[in-house]
Order: sequence, then C-alpha cells, then structure tokens
Amino acid sequence: MSTTVTYIRIYLARIIVIVGCLSILAGYFLTSPETAGLSSELQLWSSAISGFTLFIGLITIFARYIRSVMNREQNWPFHLYCLIVIILWVPFGFLQGIYSDIYQTLYLSTKITLHITIIGMMGWFVVSAMYRTFRVRSFRTAVLAILAIAMIFFNAPYITTPYPVIGDVSYWLLNNPQMSASRAMVICGGIGGVILGIRILLGLERGALRMTGGE
Amino acid sequence: MAKIPELKSEYIWIVVTIAFLIPMLRPLNTPFPMSDVTLEIYKIVESLPEGSIVVMGGGGVFAFDIESSPGMISCIKQMARKGIKLIAVPIWSETPQFHKYLIDAARVDKDKYGGPWKYGEDYVLLPYIPGPSDEVVLDSFLSDIHKTVSIDLAGTPIDQLPLMQKVHNYKDISLWFCPHWGFVPVIRIVVAKYNITSISFAQSAAYAFFSPYMYSYPGKVYMTNGYIGGAQYEKLAGDKGLGHMVIDSYTTLSIVTVAAIILGNITMLSRMREEEK
Amino acid sequence: MISTDPWIWLSAFLSLACFSLFLGDNKAFRWAETTYTASVIGHSTVTGLLVMRDRFYPLYTGAKPILIIPLILGITVLLVVWRKYAWISSIALAVLVGVGTGMSIRTLTSSDIIANTRAVVGEAAKIIRGPSTTQVGSIINIIFTISALFYFLFTLFPRGTLSKPLNYLRTLGKYALITYMGISVGNTIQQWVGTATSALYRLIVLWLGLR
Repeated sequence: MSTTVTYIRIYLARIIVIVGCLSILAGYFLTSPETAGLSSELQLWSSAISGFTLFIGLITIFARYIRSVMNREQNWPFHLYCLIVIILWVPFGFLQGIYSDIYQTLYLSTKITLHITIIGMMGWFVVSAMYRTFRVRSFRTAVLAILAIAMIFFNAPYITTPYPVIGDVSYWLLNNPQMSASRAMVICGGIGGVILGIRILLGLERGALRMTGGE
Repeated sequence: MAKIPELKSEYIWIVVTIAFLIPMLRPLNTPFPMSDVTLEIYKIVESLPEGSIVVMGGGGVFAFDIESSPGMISCIKQMARKGIKLIAVPIWSETPQFHKYLIDAARVDKDKYGGPWKYGEDYVLLPYIPGPSDEVVLDSFLSDIHKTVSIDLAGTPIDQLPLMQKVHNYKDISLWFCPHWGFVPVIRIVVAKYNITSISFAQSAAYAFFSPYMYSYPGKVYMTNGYIGGAQYEKLAGDKGLGHMVIDSYTTLSIVTVAAIILGNITMLSRMREEEK
Repeated sequence: MISTDPWIWLSAFLSLACFSLFLGDNKAFRWAETTYTASVIGHSTVTGLLVMRDRFYPLYTGAKPILIIPLILGITVLLVVWRKYAWISSIALAVLVGVGTGMSIRTLTSSDIIANTRAVVGEAAKIIRGPSTTQVGSIINIIFTISALFYFLFTLFPRGTLSKPLNYLRTLGKYALITYMGISVGNTIQQWVGTATSALYRLIVLWLGLR
C-alpha cells in the first residue's frame, strides 16, 4: 500500500512539474488569453507558496537550539541568547512594521552592521591572501598576476587623472578580453540551465522531489 | 640575495589598517575622471519628462548592495529634482530595507526631510514579492502589477495610493534601475521580454560577470563599474558621499595591495635562490 | 565628538566584536555571530508574516477564494524540515519546480544563448570597419569567446589528426579564462576596499566622530 502511495505521489509530482512548465512556456509563445491567464495564475500561486519558505529557517534554528540548550551542548548559552533575541525581535518587528524607522534603525545597527563588517574584513584578508597566492611560478600565474596588478593600477585615480587614456584602457580590458570569456561562461551556463530544465521535465533529476522520499 | 622571511599576516593587516585610517581621518579628495557610460546614464535620466514613472527593483544582499548605493542615492536626488516618480520593487527579503535606506539617505521625503517627494504620490515602497525565481516574480509584476501586489510596505492597499493608480503594467514604466546583484533576471525579463531600458549601478564583481549583456542588448542595458562608477555619478549630481570616500581609500589600498603582491614574489625568489645555493 | 546615540554604540560594539576575529576565535566574536544569526532569522520571520498578509490579501477580503489552495500547499512546505513527513511537501515543491523550470528554459534560451550568440556574430561586422581599438577588441572577443566555449564544452578531448590544433584552441581557451580571472580579481578589489571603508566609517566617523 505504501509503495502504491509513493508511486502515486511521485508521478503526481512529475505531472504537476510538467503542467507548470508547459503552462509557463505556452503563456509566452501562444497568444490565447486562457493560456496567459493560467500562466499568470500559476506564477501567483508559486509566489504565495514561496513565502512560506521564509519560516523554514525559524523552525530549523528553534529545533536545533532548543535541543542544544536542553542537553547543555557546546555553546548552549549563545544558542539560548539567539532564541531570546528571535522571540523579542519577531513581535517587535511585526507590531512596529518593517516600514517603521525604529525597525529600520534596529536592522541597520545589528544585522547590516555585522554583515558589512564581516564582508569588510575581506579587505584585510584579500591583501594577505594576495601576498601569499599571487606568486609567479609559471606563465599562467604570470598572466594572472600581471593582469590583476594592471587592473588595480588602471582603476587608481592617481593614474587615471593625469593619464585619462589609462582609464580608457581599463574599460577596454573589461569590455573586451574579460567580457568575451565571461560571455562564454554565460552561454555555457545557459546551455546547462536549459539541459537541466529538460532533465527535470523528463524526470531524470529527482533532486528536490526525491528528498521528500519519505517511507 | 639573502632569504627574506615569510611575512606574518598580522603585520600585513596592521599596514592595511593604517592605509585605511589615513584617508578616513584626513580626506585626500582625490580627483578622478568621468567615464562615458556614467555620463550617458546621467543624460538618460535628465532626458526623462516630468511625471515619468521609474522602477527601482531587483534582488540582492544589503551588505553587497552598499556598493551600488552611492550612484543610486545620487540618482534618486536627481529624479526627485526632475519630478520623476519612483516605485521600489524588492524581490529578495532584505531588499525592502535597502530601498528604504536609499530613500532615507537621499533625504527626498517631504514629511521627514522637507524634500520634494511625497509618499504615495511621488514614490511608493512595495513589499517583498517572493517567488520560485526572480524571473517569475518580475514577469508576474510587469504583466499585471495590481494582480501581483495588493498592499504597499506599510500595509496600505495600493489602490488607495495615487501613484499606483497611474501604473498597471510594463507600458506605464519608462525606465528600470537595479542597484542590486540580481541584475541578470531584470535583463532577462524587463529588457528581453518587455523592452524597458534597464540601468544598474553594478558592483565591480557583477560588472565583470554581467558585462556581456550590455553588448547583447546595446542601447537597452547600461552598467557602471562598482564604487568608481558610483563616485562618478555622485560627482555629476554634485554630491560627496560613500563613493568619494572609497576613492580616497582605494588610493592608498591599491598601493599596499600591489606592494604586497610584489613583496610576495620577491620573498619567493629569494627562497628559490637560497634553495639553489 | 563621540556619539551619544545608543544605536550607534550598539553597532560599534558589534563591529568591534566582529573585528576581534583578527585576534582569533573568541567569545566576543561568537556573540556577534549569534546576534547576526538571530537578526537574520528574526527578519525573515517578520518578512514572512508580512508576506502572508500581502500574498493572501485577496483571500482575506474574499476577492479570490481560490488562493486557499496555495495557502494549504504553502503550509505543507514547512513540513520539509521533518524527514518523516517531508514527503507531504512534494506537491507544493513540484509547483515551484515546474514554474521555475518553465521560466528558466524560456529566459535562458532567449537572453543567455541566443542574444549572446547574436552579439558574437555582430562583433564580426566591427572587425571590418570602425576605430582600430574596436577592430582589435572585436577580433579578441570572437577568438576568446570561441576558444573559451570550446574549452568548456569539449571536456572529452578528441583524438586523431585534429587533436593538435584543437589542443591549441583549448589552451587558448584556458588563457582566455585566466585573463578573465586576472582582470576581474583586479577590478573587484574596489568592492572589498569599499565595504571595509563603510565598516570603518561606522566606527571612526559615526561613533568616535574623529573626522
């Protein structure tokens, strides 16, 4: 019985994937108002369903951290602090509204400050990393290092101001050799994405649906 | 050549800290040239007639999108001066706060800062619109705005907002700005399907990866290059903000970074010579 | 003049706790890290509650009762965190996967593959006329794009009489990608410098008022 239910569920999910995919494609390529209506309705439904994914982090963190606090695992005081902050944050944010100045100030003073600082620390790490890694041991690494140094200097205002042609060289490098390799990556990424989509339609990629295998 | 010891990271960090602090404490006011694409973007905005509706939309992480903020803040001031209307459309969860930050930093709100813009009439902040992908959200939004979004960020039904009564779909939108990392979905839908000119104050890493699209859609896609582009736009708008500050920092840091690379190579060469001996 | 705003002091302490990572892992950095986690989860939950209000507003007002179906499907998505009941969410996930796949097939084909290929073909016209820098740039564009594409797509190397010239093409593709990496790394330095400047600005200017 459970095997039958599993088969029905898997094939039902595959049918829904195919219907969803074909309705979006039909809404674009066909001019019928019915297909456009179905396509837009499915887009709205998928938008509504996606909203619930915002709560998955909350459930996961609470499940893990409550267990950690109860069992007095490593760093359990920090986990308790995290749960307390979340419990205070959510009603405050909901009642004040994320549009309010007070919520914006709280958000900027905590999350954004921390995130900018964490990313800003890369400014230090990048310099020490470049000291260790940009060492010319072969022709390839020479090309990499010389171009990196050239771009750093070609973007520098103390060079581009007295010699504006250097700024033009910088843009030329960005918009020609650099852009052409990037274009190749974009084309290959596009080919890969289309092939992945076709594999999903054919049921060869069970990734997101397979993880719900259950029992 | 005597063997040069490997420098500890801590010493490099100290030098980097000094290089950051010098321009922070004593602004260098480093001059910098203008680029053609930044000038072209400025002229596009200047050429928009009063009352045009522009969308600032897309998705990104706030801390990375800070790189787009110098140009976008100056552009918001320019649009407010010209009487252009703005709708903010966030499609990632952090983006509503970033859009609010940009509007507040530009100080264009009439009630809060005595600026030219009144909320609901001149600009509207919409709430986060989720979706399985950015393209789905943008397509849904541009095909029928009132079907996709019901209320604004404060919870007011959008039918009650004068600006939102004038805009129903892509035909009412003159220009699209994307001060975020997620510019590619905007190109794929806003430009490719709905033929709306899109401009991004792109992050420098984004410029490197997304520049092919400027050539795929010439005259429809424009991008500035990181903080340098942002500083250039600030200069055009007569501002002096984060962009100018970063230009000063870059003046010192560029020298330190290149010196670190050269020193690393000299260290390696000295070791190789010692090993040969 | 040092700031008297408590929010600036809070953000300054959090910044300093973050910067303490330079001295090694410590409790101050753990505190900052935990605050970050809590604020991310808290904000996404608040955003989620407001999204529910927005997405299902027509359902609350009775304008569109059919939205009850995505509401039920959305609730089943939450069960994905429990291994035993995760299978219940497969229908909702199928809707997301189907819609997302349809959109990606359409958009990737038109904008990533066709538009970029058209741009490469268009470059060929610029070789013939225009300023010399544009002509040289166009030649480099075409050669680098084709060689990098060849390097990516032909992972199983062909053997036979053509293997030597194709090997050169592959090597050229490799160098095209190294060129991309070198230039983009050099260009991206401004991003790290700028973010670090923004972080230090909060401490030096906003908090300590030293500028």
